[in-house]
This record gives sequence, structure tokens and C-alpha cells, in this order.
Amino acid sequence: MVAQNTILLMPRKGPAKRFARLRPRSVTSKAGLRASLPKAGKDTLWISDDPGQIAELLKSVKWPTRRLGDAILLFNPALEALTALRKCFDRIAFGAPGGFLPGEELAEALTAENRSELFIGGAVDHQCNMMTLWRGNLDSLVVPFTAFPPSGDGTAPNFDDFAVADYGQTVQLGKYEAATDAILYEFDPEYRRRKAKQRRASEQSLGASIRRLRKQRGLRREDFAPLAPKTIARIEQGKVAAIHDSTKAAIAKRLKVSPDELASY
Amino acid sequence: MPIELELPKRLKRNRWKVKIQEKETREPPHVSILRKTKKWRINLRTGEFLDKAPKPSEVPDELLALIRNSETWRWLCEQWDRKYPGNPVAGNED
Repeated sequence: MVAQNTILLMPRKGPAKRFARLRPRSVTSKAGLRASLPKAGKDTLWISDDPGQIAELLKSVKWPTRRLGDAILLFNPALEALTALRKCFDRIAFGAPGGFLPGEELAEALTAENRSELFIGGAVDHQCNMMTLWRGNLDSLVVPFTAFPPSGDGTAPNFDDFAVADYGQTVQLGKYEAATDAILYEFDPEYRRRKAKQRRASEQSLGASIRRLRKQRGLRREDFAPLAPKTIARIEQGKVAAIHDSTKAAIAKRLKVSPDELASY
Repeated sequence: MPIELELPKRLKRNRWKVKIQEKETREPPHVSILRKTKKWRINLRTGEFLDKAPKPSEVPDELLALIRNSETWRWLCEQWDRKYPGNPVAGNED
């Protein structure tokens, strides 16, 4: 659901223009913050770039607190504050400055119909070699660095230079620009099922799924021995009306999935 | 290296972008057309749109003509092949 009530908790009113699409209310003072708290609820989205004001919010709420809505923190909160923040907000997205879309694009992505399929920001964890990506519905997705193999032209990801771009449709790692939908397809089974369902409506699903999964695994049709490459090709092209169970099992085994899962890819 | 087609100012002003993105190994060779939160994909083997939604009719004719211009098309195909040598446009796996 799109937030009905957006509060910009920032030291200045200026940035509000960039978030105009969300019709936000700017809160710049302690008094304004205290006045906002009683009206906040599950339809409220708080956006803040100011750790000081968020600290003030935590000091101002009455504990135990009720839920104040969702929050996007355009900075990394202190680890010690995280538990308290989780008690205040249903969902929280946070990341270092620059880790989120610019204001106008962020507002657009948060209100888009397909917001759950867009990344609004993220944070890179160099210690664990993974990144957390935030979607437009504030759900998170954790993706390991290994998900970004160098391209054939030698373009390699630079994890020190992370950004989301193109209204959430691209994850930039230096000159490496990964497509958001390709990341979701690989790491969100629910997204994959939804896409597979859409594809099933328009194409021979099992064959296409096998082909996609084979590509994902970096395999050639020749790699399915004792099945002949021609057999794999015919199955992928939807030319086999009914695939024998043993054939399906052999293909699934080579692709490292269960036979029942094949069509979901 | 990001692959992005240089577009006329009018299209750029309206937030249109044409790219070949990374990590697209699973899909048939294609070029992505981006505008704000929407994305269209054109199959570089067949010239057809890969998806039914968003509606292909939302893409301006001017942009489609530019992409399908033979010189641009060749350039896009070359760029795809450089990025995805294991799944070249000339392959016949579709």
C-alpha cells in the first residue's frame, strides 16, 4: 500500500520539492516532531536524512510505543538504536548517504504500481561480501557479491561504488549496471513464480524454463548426456508434447533443482 | 562498461533511455528501453517486444525507428555479443 501520510524529517524544508509526488509534510523542529507523533500510524511513511531528528523521535515517543508506520533513513543508524527503531516502525530501510535513489526518483518509485519490483536503495557489506537491497515496498533482499559475475566485455562490478539508478531499475556497481529484474529473478522465488506465470500464458513454459535455467547454470545442450543435444533443443522449443518422467528427472538433476520446481524457473 | 544508446535531446528530456544491462544471461539477446519505473525489452533476434506489459504502444515511434535503424541495430547487436559471448544474437537457441 502507498503511504497516505508522508513526513519528511529533515533539518530544512528545501528537499520537500523533490518529494512533491508524495505530498509530504516537512517537519524541521522538535515541536513539529512532537505534534506529528500522535497522528502517525500504519499509513505513515517517515523519510529522514538526519540522525539527530531520529534520535529526538526515539526520545519523544512514550515507551512502550505503538507503531508509527514505516521509515526510510537516508543514513546508517547506530547499531544500538536499531532495536528501538524496529519497535517504532513496521518496516525500516536504511543505508549510507548516496545509497538511495535521488528524491524525485525515490518518490516516483515509492508510488509506482510495480514498486515491489524496483530497488529504492541499498547498503553494501564488504565484510560479508553481500549487499542488502531495499524494494519500493520496503521489503529487503540480500544478495551475495557472487551474483554479479563480470560481463563478457570485461566489465566487472566495483562494490566500492554502489548506487541505484534509473528509478530503481538498475543497480550500479561502478561501470557495471545490473538489471533489477535479473536480480529479483534469481533471488526472489515469489517474483520468479509470478514471472513464470506470466510467461506460461504466452509460451511453452517448461521448455522455456529449462532453457532459462540452463543458461543460468552456464550449461550447453551438449552437457546433458546421455540425453542428446537435439532432445534438449526439442524440449526447450516446446516440440515435445509430453516429457517422460525419467527424462525430466535427468534434466532436473543436471540443473540441480527438483523435477517439480523446473517449471517455476 | 555501461552500454547506452545516445538519444536525441527531446527523448532524453522525456526520460527515455536505451541500454544493454548486465546480468541478463538468462534471457534472449535484447535491448532494454527504460522510462522512469517502466521497462520494455526488444528481442535482438526477432525485433519483437519480449513482454506484453507495459504496452509496446507506449514507446514512441521515433524511438523505435531509431533503435531499428540498421546501423544502430548492428551496433546494439555487436554490443550484446561483446557482453554476452555465450548467448550471441546470431545463435539459434530461441
